[in-house]
Amino acid sequence: MDKLIDDEMLVAQFQAGRQNAFDELMKRYKSKIFSYLLRSVRNYEDAEDITIEVFFKAYRALEGWQPKAKFSTWLYKIASNLAIDYHRAKARHPVYALDDTEIPEVHLVATDLHSDPEKQLEEKERGILIREAVDQLSPKQKAVFMLSRYEGLQLKEVAETLDMAEGTVKIHLHRAVKRLQTLLRPLWENNEI
Amino acid sequence: MPKCKKSEGQAIDYASKLLPPPEEEPFEQHLKNCQDCSEAVESYTAIFDLTDKAQAELTVPETALKNIEMNVYKRLASTQEQTLFSRIRAYFAGVGSPFGWYKTAAVSSVAVALIATAVFIGKPFQSEDTLRLTDTQSADARIEQYRQQGIQRNLEEALITRHLRNDAWETESQLHRMKEQAQGTNWTKVADTHLKNLQSGNSTLQ
Repeated sequence: MDKLIDDEMLVAQFQAGRQNAFDELMKRYKSKIFSYLLRSVRNYEDAEDITIEVFFKAYRALEGWQPKAKFSTWLYKIASNLAIDYHRAKARHPVYALDDTEIPEVHLVATDLHSDPEKQLEEKERGILIREAVDQLSPKQKAVFMLSRYEGLQLKEVAETLDMAEGTVKIHLHRAVKRLQTLLRPLWENNEI
Repeated sequence: MPKCKKSEGQAIDYASKLLPPPEEEPFEQHLKNCQDCSEAVESYTAIFDLTDKAQAELTVPETALKNIEMNVYKRLASTQEQTLFSRIRAYFAGVGSPFGWYKTAAVSSVAVALIATAVFIGKPFQSEDTLRLTDTQSADARIEQYRQQGIQRNLEEALITRHLRNDAWETESQLHRMKEQAQGTNWTKVADTHLKNLQSGNSTLQ
Protein backbone atom coordinates (compact mmCIF):
# COMPACT_ATOMS: atom_id res chain seq x y z
CA MET A 1 0.00 0.00 0.00
CA ASP A 2 1.18 3.48 -0.86
CA LYS A 3 2.95 5.04 2.12
CA LEU A 4 2.03 8.47 0.87
CA ILE A 5 -1.62 7.85 1.64
CA ASP A 6 -2.36 9.70 4.84
CA ASP A 7 -3.97 8.06 7.84
CA GLU A 8 -7.27 9.83 7.45
CA MET A 9 -7.53 8.58 3.86
CA LEU A 10 -6.91 5.06 5.07
CA VAL A 11 -9.66 5.47 7.65
CA ALA A 12 -12.02 6.59 4.90
CA GLN A 13 -11.05 3.53 2.85
CA PHE A 14 -11.69 1.29 5.85
CA GLN A 15 -15.06 2.92 6.42
CA ALA A 16 -15.86 2.18 2.78
CA GLY A 17 -15.19 -1.50 3.45
CA ARG A 18 -11.53 -1.93 2.56
CA GLN A 19 -10.06 -4.14 5.27
CA ASN A 20 -6.50 -3.74 4.03
CA ALA A 21 -6.61 -0.11 5.08
CA PHE A 22 -6.88 -1.12 8.72
CA ASP A 23 -3.97 -3.52 8.30
CA GLU A 24 -1.89 -0.65 6.98
CA LEU A 25 -2.85 1.53 9.95
CA MET A 26 -1.81 -1.24 12.35
CA LYS A 27 1.46 -1.65 10.49
CA ARG A 28 2.15 2.07 10.79
CA TYR A 29 1.36 2.44 14.47
CA LYS A 30 1.90 -0.89 16.24
CA SER A 31 5.52 -0.15 17.07
CA LYS A 32 4.82 3.38 18.34
CA ILE A 33 1.86 2.31 20.44
CA PHE A 34 3.74 -0.69 21.83
CA SER A 35 6.72 1.50 22.77
CA TYR A 36 4.49 4.09 24.40
CA LEU A 37 2.70 1.43 26.43
CA LEU A 38 5.91 -0.34 27.36
CA ARG A 39 7.23 2.93 28.78
CA SER A 40 4.00 3.46 30.63
CA VAL A 41 3.22 0.02 32.05
CA ARG A 42 6.84 -1.21 32.16
CA ASN A 43 5.82 -4.78 31.55
CA TYR A 44 6.40 -6.49 28.25
CA GLU A 45 3.40 -8.83 28.21
CA ASP A 46 0.95 -6.25 29.49
CA ALA A 47 2.18 -3.76 26.90
CA GLU A 48 1.52 -6.33 24.18
CA ASP A 49 -1.97 -7.12 25.51
CA ILE A 50 -2.89 -3.46 25.76
CA THR A 51 -1.55 -2.77 22.26
CA ILE A 52 -3.88 -5.47 20.95
CA GLU A 53 -6.71 -3.91 22.95
CA VAL A 54 -5.95 -0.47 21.49
CA PHE A 55 -6.32 -1.72 17.91
CA PHE A 56 -9.31 -3.84 18.85
CA LYS A 57 -11.07 -0.77 20.25
CA ALA A 58 -9.98 1.32 17.29
CA TYR A 59 -11.37 -1.24 14.85
CA ARG A 60 -14.72 -1.28 16.60
CA ALA A 61 -14.98 2.49 16.84
CA LEU A 62 -13.51 3.40 13.49
CA GLU A 63 -16.73 2.93 11.56
CA GLY A 64 -18.22 6.01 13.16
CA TRP A 65 -14.99 7.96 13.57
CA GLN A 66 -14.99 11.58 12.46
CA PRO A 67 -11.70 13.31 11.70
CA LYS A 68 -11.94 15.97 14.40
CA ALA A 69 -8.32 15.28 15.34
CA LYS A 70 -5.50 13.35 13.72
CA PHE A 71 -5.95 9.59 13.64
CA SER A 72 -2.65 9.14 15.51
CA THR A 73 -3.80 11.49 18.28
CA TRP A 74 -7.01 9.48 18.62
CA LEU A 75 -5.05 6.24 18.78
CA TYR A 76 -2.76 7.63 21.50
CA LYS A 77 -5.86 8.73 23.37
CA ILE A 78 -7.18 5.15 23.40
CA ALA A 79 -3.75 3.89 24.49
CA SER A 80 -3.46 6.54 27.17
CA ASN A 81 -6.92 5.74 28.59
CA LEU A 82 -6.14 2.04 28.66
CA ALA A 83 -2.82 2.72 30.38
CA ILE A 84 -4.65 4.77 33.02
CA ASP A 85 -7.14 1.92 33.52
CA TYR A 86 -4.22 -0.47 33.83
CA HIS A 87 -2.51 1.62 36.50
CA ARG A 88 -5.77 2.03 38.42
CA ALA A 89 -6.40 -1.71 38.37
CA LYS A 90 -2.82 -2.33 39.41
CA ALA A 91 -3.15 0.10 42.30
CA ARG A 92 -6.35 -1.61 43.45
CA HIS A 93 -4.89 -5.11 43.16
CA PRO A 94 -1.13 -4.89 43.60
CA VAL A 95 0.06 -8.40 42.85
CA TYR A 96 3.77 -7.80 42.58
CA ALA A 97 6.16 -4.91 42.17
CA LEU A 98 7.12 -3.88 38.67
CA ASP A 99 10.74 -3.50 37.92
CA ASP A 100 13.02 -3.41 34.93
CA THR A 101 13.78 -7.11 35.11
CA GLU A 102 10.44 -7.69 33.35
CA ILE A 103 11.58 -5.79 30.31
CA PRO A 104 13.78 -7.66 27.90
CA GLU A 105 17.15 -5.94 27.88
CA VAL A 106 17.91 -6.05 24.21
CA HIS A 107 21.01 -3.93 24.73
CA LEU A 108 22.60 -6.12 27.34
CA VAL A 109 24.27 -8.42 24.86
CA ALA A 110 27.78 -8.54 23.53
CA THR A 111 27.48 -6.97 20.12
CA ASP A 112 31.15 -7.18 19.28
CA LEU A 113 34.45 -8.40 20.66
CA HIS A 114 35.19 -5.00 22.21
CA SER A 115 31.98 -4.72 24.21
CA ASP A 116 32.55 -4.08 27.89
CA PRO A 117 30.16 -6.06 30.14
CA GLU A 118 30.93 -3.87 33.15
CA LYS A 119 30.10 -0.72 31.25
CA GLN A 120 26.92 -2.32 29.93
CA LEU A 121 25.88 -3.20 33.46
CA GLU A 122 26.59 0.34 34.63
CA GLU A 123 24.51 1.74 31.79
CA LYS A 124 21.71 -0.64 32.62
CA GLU A 125 21.71 0.48 36.26
CA ARG A 126 21.83 4.12 35.23
CA GLY A 127 18.86 3.53 32.91
CA ILE A 128 16.90 1.92 35.74
CA LEU A 129 17.57 4.87 38.09
CA ILE A 130 16.44 7.39 35.49
CA ARG A 131 13.32 5.43 34.53
CA GLU A 132 12.45 5.11 38.21
CA ALA A 133 12.67 8.88 38.50
CA VAL A 134 10.25 9.26 35.57
CA ASP A 135 7.93 6.78 37.30
CA GLN A 136 7.87 9.03 40.35
CA LEU A 137 6.14 11.80 38.41
CA SER A 138 2.41 12.16 38.95
CA PRO A 139 0.34 10.22 36.37
CA LYS A 140 -0.54 13.43 34.50
CA GLN A 141 3.02 14.75 34.55
CA LYS A 142 4.31 11.40 33.34
CA ALA A 143 1.74 11.17 30.55
CA VAL A 144 2.48 14.70 29.34
CA PHE A 145 6.24 14.19 29.59
CA MET A 146 6.16 10.89 27.70
CA LEU A 147 3.84 12.01 24.93
CA SER A 148 5.68 15.23 24.27
CA ARG A 149 9.20 13.94 24.80
CA TYR A 150 9.21 10.37 23.50
CA GLU A 151 6.28 10.22 21.12
CA GLY A 152 7.08 13.55 19.54
CA LEU A 153 3.56 14.93 19.89
CA GLN A 154 3.03 18.68 19.68
CA LEU A 155 1.61 20.33 22.81
CA LYS A 156 -1.72 20.75 21.01
CA GLU A 157 -1.81 17.03 20.23
CA VAL A 158 -0.89 16.13 23.82
CA ALA A 159 -3.75 18.36 24.95
CA GLU A 160 -6.18 16.58 22.63
CA THR A 161 -4.91 13.15 23.66
CA LEU A 162 -5.27 13.83 27.38
CA ASP A 163 -8.33 16.08 27.19
CA MET A 164 -6.53 19.04 28.72
CA ALA A 165 -6.11 22.66 27.82
CA GLU A 166 -2.82 23.43 26.10
CA GLY A 167 -1.81 25.71 28.97
CA THR A 168 -2.43 22.90 31.46
CA VAL A 169 -0.23 20.59 29.41
CA LYS A 170 2.56 23.13 29.59
CA ILE A 171 2.18 23.49 33.34
CA HIS A 172 2.37 19.70 33.80
CA LEU A 173 5.40 19.56 31.53
CA HIS A 174 7.21 22.30 33.47
CA ARG A 175 6.41 20.61 36.78
CA ALA A 176 7.60 17.27 35.41
CA VAL A 177 10.93 18.72 34.31
CA LYS A 178 11.47 20.50 37.62
CA ARG A 179 10.58 17.36 39.55
CA LEU A 180 13.02 15.35 37.46
CA GLN A 181 15.67 17.96 38.11
CA THR A 182 15.11 17.58 41.86
CA LEU A 183 15.22 13.79 41.62
CA LEU A 184 18.16 13.42 39.27
CA ARG A 185 20.46 16.25 40.25
CA PRO A 186 21.81 14.57 43.42
CA LEU A 187 22.47 11.43 41.40
CA TRP A 188 24.57 13.11 38.77
CA GLU A 189 26.30 15.32 41.30
CA ASN A 190 27.36 12.13 43.12
CA ASN A 191 28.41 10.57 39.80
CA GLU A 192 25.77 7.87 40.19
CA ILE A 193 24.36 8.50 36.75
CA MET B 1 17.07 26.61 40.35
CA PRO B 2 17.17 29.96 38.53
CA LYS B 3 16.66 33.11 40.58
CA CYS B 4 15.46 34.78 37.42
CA LYS B 5 11.89 33.52 37.90
CA LYS B 6 10.59 35.46 34.94
CA SER B 7 12.33 33.22 32.49
CA GLU B 8 12.13 29.86 34.26
CA GLY B 9 9.34 28.58 32.01
CA GLN B 10 11.17 29.88 28.97
CA ALA B 11 14.32 28.05 30.05
CA ILE B 12 12.40 24.76 30.12
CA ASP B 13 10.74 25.49 26.79
CA TYR B 14 14.06 26.48 25.26
CA ALA B 15 15.79 23.31 26.50
CA SER B 16 12.93 21.16 25.25
CA LYS B 17 12.80 23.05 21.93
CA LEU B 18 9.24 24.17 22.55
CA LEU B 19 9.88 27.89 22.64
CA PRO B 20 7.89 29.70 19.92
CA PRO B 21 10.26 31.01 17.19
CA PRO B 22 9.54 34.72 17.87
CA GLU B 23 10.63 34.26 21.50
CA GLU B 24 13.75 32.29 20.67
CA GLU B 25 16.12 35.08 19.67
CA PRO B 26 15.22 37.47 22.51
CA PHE B 27 15.67 34.60 24.96
CA GLU B 28 19.06 33.72 23.48
CA GLN B 29 20.06 37.36 24.00
CA HIS B 30 18.79 37.11 27.58
CA LEU B 31 20.89 33.97 28.12
CA LYS B 32 24.05 35.89 27.29
CA ASN B 33 23.46 38.18 30.25
CA CYS B 34 21.76 35.87 32.73
CA GLN B 35 23.88 33.34 34.56
CA ASP B 36 20.85 31.81 36.32
CA CYS B 37 19.00 31.08 33.10
CA SER B 38 22.13 29.76 31.36
CA GLU B 39 22.67 27.32 34.20
CA ALA B 40 19.00 26.39 34.18
CA VAL B 41 19.04 25.65 30.44
CA GLU B 42 22.17 23.57 30.89
CA SER B 43 20.58 21.63 33.73
CA TYR B 44 17.30 21.00 31.87
CA THR B 45 19.20 19.95 28.75
CA ALA B 46 21.16 17.45 30.83
CA ILE B 47 17.89 16.03 32.20
CA PHE B 48 16.49 15.61 28.71
CA ASP B 49 19.68 13.93 27.52
CA LEU B 50 19.58 11.48 30.42
CA THR B 51 15.90 10.62 30.16
CA ASP B 52 16.01 10.36 26.36
CA LYS B 53 18.90 7.94 26.54
CA ALA B 54 17.29 5.86 29.29
CA GLN B 55 14.00 5.61 27.43
CA ALA B 56 15.66 4.85 24.12
CA GLU B 57 16.97 1.68 25.76
CA LEU B 58 13.40 0.44 25.99
CA THR B 59 13.11 -0.37 22.31
CA VAL B 60 10.62 -2.98 21.27
CA PRO B 61 12.26 -6.01 19.67
CA GLU B 62 10.94 -6.64 16.16
CA THR B 63 9.89 -10.15 17.16
CA ALA B 64 7.41 -8.71 19.67
CA LEU B 65 5.50 -6.98 16.91
CA LYS B 66 5.11 -9.93 14.59
CA ASN B 67 1.83 -11.26 15.89
CA ILE B 68 0.04 -8.05 16.83
CA GLU B 69 -2.20 -7.98 13.74
CA MET B 70 -3.14 -11.65 14.01
CA ASN B 71 -3.96 -11.29 17.70
CA VAL B 72 -6.12 -8.22 17.03
CA TYR B 73 -8.15 -10.23 14.54
CA LYS B 74 -8.32 -13.16 16.96
CA ARG B 75 -9.63 -10.79 19.60
CA LEU B 76 -12.24 -9.46 17.16
CA ALA B 77 -13.29 -12.96 16.14
CA SER B 78 -13.64 -14.17 19.73
CA THR B 79 -15.73 -11.16 20.71
CA GLN B 80 -18.05 -11.63 17.78
CA GLU B 81 -18.48 -15.30 18.67
CA GLN B 82 -19.34 -14.21 22.20
CA THR B 83 -21.79 -11.67 20.82
CA LEU B 84 -23.62 -14.38 18.90
CA PHE B 85 -23.74 -16.61 21.97
CA SER B 86 -24.82 -13.85 24.32
CA ARG B 87 -27.58 -12.82 21.90
CA ILE B 88 -28.99 -16.31 21.86
CA ARG B 89 -28.73 -16.47 25.65
CA ALA B 90 -30.30 -13.04 26.07
CA TYR B 91 -33.13 -14.01 23.75
CA PHE B 92 -34.00 -17.09 25.77
CA ALA B 93 -33.60 -15.29 29.06
CA GLY B 94 -36.22 -12.87 27.78
CA VAL B 95 -38.64 -15.68 26.90
CA GLY B 96 -38.91 -16.83 30.52
CA SER B 97 -40.64 -20.01 31.59
CA PRO B 98 -43.02 -21.11 34.32
CA PHE B 99 -41.88 -24.72 33.97
CA GLY B 100 -39.16 -24.78 36.62
CA TRP B 101 -36.10 -27.00 36.30
CA TYR B 102 -36.63 -28.26 32.78
CA LYS B 103 -36.51 -24.73 31.44
CA THR B 104 -32.77 -25.15 30.85
CA ALA B 105 -33.28 -28.39 28.94
CA ALA B 106 -35.99 -26.86 26.78
CA VAL B 107 -33.95 -23.74 26.09
CA SER B 108 -30.90 -25.82 25.22
CA SER B 109 -32.89 -27.95 22.78
CA VAL B 110 -34.31 -24.90 21.04
CA ALA B 111 -30.84 -23.30 20.96
CA VAL B 112 -29.36 -26.41 19.32
CA ALA B 113 -32.22 -26.44 16.82
CA LEU B 114 -31.67 -22.77 16.02
CA ILE B 115 -27.95 -23.22 15.56
CA ALA B 116 -28.63 -26.19 13.26
CA THR B 117 -31.10 -24.06 11.32
CA ALA B 118 -28.50 -21.33 11.06
CA VAL B 119 -25.96 -23.79 9.71
CA PHE B 120 -28.22 -25.58 7.22
CA ILE B 121 -30.64 -22.92 6.08
CA GLY B 122 -29.03 -19.57 6.37
CA LYS B 123 -28.39 -16.71 8.75
CA PRO B 124 -31.49 -16.18 10.88
CA PHE B 125 -29.84 -13.49 13.03
CA GLN B 126 -28.42 -11.55 10.16
CA SER B 127 -31.22 -9.00 10.30
CA GLU B 128 -29.84 -7.70 13.60
CA ASP B 129 -27.80 -4.58 12.88
CA THR B 130 -25.34 -5.09 15.68
CA LEU B 131 -24.49 -8.68 14.80
CA ARG B 132 -22.09 -8.80 11.91
CA LEU B 133 -21.30 -12.38 10.96
CA THR B 134 -19.56 -11.19 7.82
CA ASP B 135 -17.03 -9.46 10.06
CA THR B 136 -16.40 -12.73 11.88
CA GLN B 137 -15.68 -14.39 8.57
CA SER B 138 -13.45 -11.51 7.63
CA ALA B 139 -11.57 -11.75 10.92
CA ASP B 140 -11.09 -15.50 10.38
CA ALA B 141 -9.77 -14.88 6.91
CA ARG B 142 -7.36 -12.29 8.31
CA ILE B 143 -6.17 -14.67 11.02
CA GLU B 144 -5.43 -17.28 8.38
CA GLN B 145 -3.70 -14.69 6.22
CA TYR B 146 -1.43 -13.63 9.10
CA ARG B 147 -0.79 -17.27 9.99
CA GLN B 148 0.37 -17.91 6.43
CA GLN B 149 2.60 -14.84 6.61
CA GLY B 150 4.01 -16.05 9.92
CA ILE B 151 4.81 -19.46 8.41
CA GLN B 152 6.58 -17.85 5.45
CA ARG B 153 8.49 -15.53 7.76
CA ASN B 154 9.64 -18.43 9.91
CA LEU B 155 10.75 -20.32 6.82
CA GLU B 156 12.73 -17.29 5.67
CA GLU B 157 14.36 -17.06 9.09
CA ALA B 158 15.28 -20.73 9.00
CA LEU B 159 16.88 -20.28 5.56
CA ILE B 160 18.77 -17.21 6.76
CA THR B 161 20.04 -19.21 9.74
CA ARG B 162 21.16 -21.96 7.41
CA HIS B 163 22.80 -19.95 4.66
CA LEU B 164 24.06 -16.83 6.41
CA ARG B 165 24.88 -18.18 9.85
CA ASN B 166 25.50 -21.78 8.81
CA ASP B 167 23.85 -23.05 11.99
CA ALA B 168 22.38 -26.44 11.04
CA TRP B 169 21.13 -27.27 14.53
CA GLU B 170 19.20 -24.00 14.91
CA THR B 171 17.90 -24.28 11.33
CA GLU B 172 16.53 -27.72 12.06
CA SER B 173 14.70 -26.61 15.18
CA GLN B 174 13.33 -23.56 13.34
CA LEU B 175 12.06 -25.80 10.54
CA HIS B 176 10.41 -28.12 13.05
CA ARG B 177 8.71 -25.14 14.71
CA MET B 178 7.58 -23.87 11.32
CA LYS B 179 6.23 -27.33 10.41
CA GLU B 180 4.29 -27.48 13.63
CA GLN B 181 2.84 -24.03 12.98
CA ALA B 182 1.94 -25.07 9.41
CA GLN B 183 -0.08 -28.15 10.34
CA GLY B 184 -2.91 -28.69 7.87
CA THR B 185 -1.25 -26.72 5.06
CA ASN B 186 1.05 -27.56 2.17
CA TRP B 187 3.84 -25.71 3.98
CA THR B 188 4.52 -28.91 5.95
CA LYS B 189 5.75 -30.50 2.70
CA VAL B 190 8.03 -27.52 2.13
CA ALA B 191 9.38 -27.92 5.65
CA ASP B 192 9.93 -31.66 5.08
CA THR B 193 11.86 -30.95 1.88
CA HIS B 194 14.12 -28.46 3.64
CA LEU B 195 14.64 -30.82 6.58
CA LYS B 196 15.55 -33.61 4.17
CA ASN B 197 18.01 -31.35 2.33
CA LEU B 198 19.46 -30.22 5.61
CA GLN B 199 20.00 -33.77 6.79
CA SER B 200 21.60 -34.81 3.51
CA GLY B 201 23.77 -31.68 3.68
CA ASN B 202 24.84 -32.64 7.18
CA SER B 203 25.74 -36.17 6.12
CA THR B 204 27.79 -34.75 3.24
CA LEU B 205 29.67 -32.61 5.72
CA GLN B 206 30.32 -35.61 7.90
